[in-house]
Amino acid sequence: MTLWDLKQGTSATVQSFVSSLESSYKTRLSELGFHPGEIISCVLSPSLGAPKLYRVNNSVYSLDDSVASLIEVGSKTGNGE
Amino acid sequence: MSKTILIGSPNSGKSLLFNRLTGLNQKVANFPGITVNINTGKSLAHPSNEFLDYPGAYSLQAISGEEKVAIEAFNSALNDPEISTVVCVVDVTRLEKGLIFALQVINACAEQQKPLVIAANMIDVLEQHNLNLDIAGLEKALGVPVIAVSAKSGSGLEHLQDTVINHRDPPSTYHSDIIASDESVTHRQAQQLAENYGPKGDLLINAQTRLDEFFLHSWFGGLSFLVIMYLLFQSIFTWAAPVMDGVESSLQFMAEFIIPLLPEGPISDFTADALFGGIGAFLVFVPQIFVLTLIVGMLEDSGYLARAAVICHKPLRLFGLTGKSFIPMLSSVACAIPGIYAARTVDSPRKRWLTYLAIPLMPCSARLPVYSLLIAAFIPASNLFGGLVGWQGLAMFGIYVFGILCGLLVTSLVSRTNQDLHSDLPFVLEMPPYRLPSWRPLLRNAWGRSKHFVTKAGKVIFLVTVAIWILGYFPNQGEALGESWLGTMGHWIEPVFAPFGLDWKYGVAILTSFLAREVFVGTLGTLFGIEGGDENIISLAEHIQNSGLPVGAGFALLVFFSIALQCVSTLAVLSKETGSWRLPAQLFVSYSIFAYTAAWLTFHIVEAIAA
Repeated sequence: MTLWDLKQGTSATVQSFVSSLESSYKTRLSELGFHPGEIISCVLSPSLGAPKLYRVNNSVYSLDDSVASLIEVGSKTGNGE
Repeated sequence: MSKTILIGSPNSGKSLLFNRLTGLNQKVANFPGITVNINTGKSLAHPSNEFLDYPGAYSLQAISGEEKVAIEAFNSALNDPEISTVVCVVDVTRLEKGLIFALQVINACAEQQKPLVIAANMIDVLEQHNLNLDIAGLEKALGVPVIAVSAKSGSGLEHLQDTVINHRDPPSTYHSDIIASDESVTHRQAQQLAENYGPKGDLLINAQTRLDEFFLHSWFGGLSFLVIMYLLFQSIFTWAAPVMDGVESSLQFMAEFIIPLLPEGPISDFTADALFGGIGAFLVFVPQIFVLTLIVGMLEDSGYLARAAVICHKPLRLFGLTGKSFIPMLSSVACAIPGIYAARTVDSPRKRWLTYLAIPLMPCSARLPVYSLLIAAFIPASNLFGGLVGWQGLAMFGIYVFGILCGLLVTSLVSRTNQDLHSDLPFVLEMPPYRLPSWRPLLRNAWGRSKHFVTKAGKVIFLVTVAIWILGYFPNQGEALGESWLGTMGHWIEPVFAPFGLDWKYGVAILTSFLAREVFVGTLGTLFGIEGGDENIISLAEHIQNSGLPVGAGFALLVFFSIALQCVSTLAVLSKETGSWRLPAQLFVSYSIFAYTAAWLTFHIVEAIAA
């Protein structure tokens, strides 16, 4: 399961990055908080394939499918917050 | 003179703090990555100290072009003996993110033995929500002074300035009990610090999420985006109109008072035709530039612009762009030059290059006087729905949309046919918190932009207007414009513009506008002024109506100006940003051909419909 599959209002733990993701971007995503072990919540999932909003601690980021589908997540914990 | 570096994460309020500390007017916005150059200014409190405002960075490991500028300069500045202190600005409403960067800065300063002060900014937001930051605890844990400040309200700035001057102890490398073998160690340290000393509760993030649920809703979000964009263009006419009328009446009053006092002959004619007719015609449009810059600034400052980038991401992707291209494109609606600089925030090189192609086609404020003039001449000033919608505002909206569509058409075609630029980076955009705009910097910025418009463009317009007047007035003292030196030259170029219904006067005005678009209005004002002789001074739009210009030619002119790249400064900045004249030269030639062809087609289509 990838971050893009996460439903609005649910959370999951980052497990790894898909190997095709450029290393500089792995570093940047880690710096932003999307690193293995971190719990991410999907706070908004608009329809029509628009970018989704993800919360990492006290910051919110918008990611589109091209990057969110490269972050593998697991251990879904239910109703997010 | 001692120097102090201001550095911090994007959107930490660093530029607003710089403005507060120096009294300068650096552009401020609630959007990540607004500082694109290193700005300097003397401290108001201690004039012997100079502040250097560096672009925001998420990390000392750069991956975007903009970050590279900041980080390379920062690293070399740490070795510079003139740099006495570093101030790292941290947004306390998003403490963890700010601390990730601050910890890297602490370690870099420890290595180079540079004193460091942490400015804990936006403390006013925490106070408004009854949230607390344990300043003393954080200061002790980090081993550097932490000063609570609000760049918006000005609180804590005196304490910060005194600390910057007096604090001379370099920090030690930050150590904690967290052990990790990967790059996540800094993140975990920041997380622990934020948990121990940061504000508790989700108040801010929950309020932000509620607003996002509306502004990014699949339907309401798109609808509110369209309404906001429409109001932006409608307000350019409705809000600015009374001031424009006031400027026009004042100029007319001054002309009627001054001209009779002057001796008849060239001096009186020059004052009437070149000064009031030419330069005066251009000054009338300054209020519109002010309103446009103010509203675009308001959207940026409120945090809405980042949401607009998210809304636009999917549609822009169809045209080979990204949501991040929206910010440089909207900035270009005020002026292409800040738009080109803002394109540095588009981290994908391919999409940045495509954004450069779209920027010159965005309807910039220099086009506004031309559009306003032609719309006033050809579109009735009547309203619909009890004054809610004006035909002229609607026409302005239409021509703006046309320019944007042309830009998207170009990027779409090029992205599908160009095989050279296939590498790409994914879309990650931080959502800044919603804020009430700070009116004072916004008004200062709008005033600065209007002043810049008058002084920079005004110089060119003045020189061109004088040259045009001399060429149009002599050798027959304005008796017959068609037989003047300019008339003779104009008749040579008339065949170039005749295919879309323009006579030589418009041809001359178009040629001079290749220096800067606004020159078109000044040139035309001067030419009609000379031709009008002793007639009462009437508005330039009325002159155009009386000149018998076909309606098709008016629309052709609108189309020509919305496409042609008539701006020497844009070409120069593009060349600086791309490192060569290749792209600006290609764009200048191709957009000139595109503009000419589209104008020719428009003329024939509109004339066929009108017939």
